[in-house]
Amino acid sequence: MWIWQAITGALLIILLGVHMVTQHFIAPEGLRYYEDVVAYLSNPGVFALETAMLIVVVAHALMGVRSIILDLSISEQTDTWLKRGLTVLGVLLVAYGVFMTWQVVR
Amino acid sequence: METQSTWQKIWTWIDLRGRREGGIGFILMRLTAIGLVVYLALHLTMISNLARGPEAWDSFIKLVKLPIFMVGDTLLIFGLVYHAINGIRVTVLGLGWGGDHQAALFWGAFVLSVLLTAVMVTAIVAIG
Repeated sequence: MWIWQAITGALLIILLGVHMVTQHFIAPEGLRYYEDVVAYLSNPGVFALETAMLIVVVAHALMGVRSIILDLSISEQTDTWLKRGLTVLGVLLVAYGVFMTWQVVR
Repeated sequence: METQSTWQKIWTWIDLRGRREGGIGFILMRLTAIGLVVYLALHLTMISNLARGPEAWDSFIKLVKLPIFMVGDTLLIFGLVYHAINGIRVTVLGLGWGGDHQAALFWGAFVLSVLLTAVMVTAIVAIG
């Protein structure tokens, strides 16, 4: 798990860097107004980038949550349920984020 | 052998007493991780304002432009930057490099995080 945490972390540095620079520094005055945000998200490249970032950030965050809970010395059985629960939560969070973004741009 | 309750384990986990740089770095990493997970949840909730239309979005933006939110932004930026830089430090150490320079690597990561946070906050304030 450690190596996946490092790989998703490295990917996040790149994806978040692009996300922050484009949203806050390239767009004049940042992406503040509704029309600007919708126009930005309507670009297929941006939609793909934001979706990739959502998947990676959710995976990184939930693996981190698991490793914090593992520090509390839980049983193997609890860990099995924890992994299942976090996987379901991750899928739901990504689906929610993509659905919401799609609702905005369609 | 004495067994610890969950609360005792959590307390041991955040207790800074007697910790060296590696331990302090670990605690800060975990605290920033929890803060960022909370922020992620808020950020996803924020997207729903976009789906509710321009009025909901613009009034939300008006709210977060209040000066008090700059304090939260500064904490968020520091948390993100420290978490990323310390993550690189932990990965480097995990790969077996720099073990003899643990303390210097921690302080380097911490000072760099403070400096980068200052630069980014200054840029955000300058943009307005």
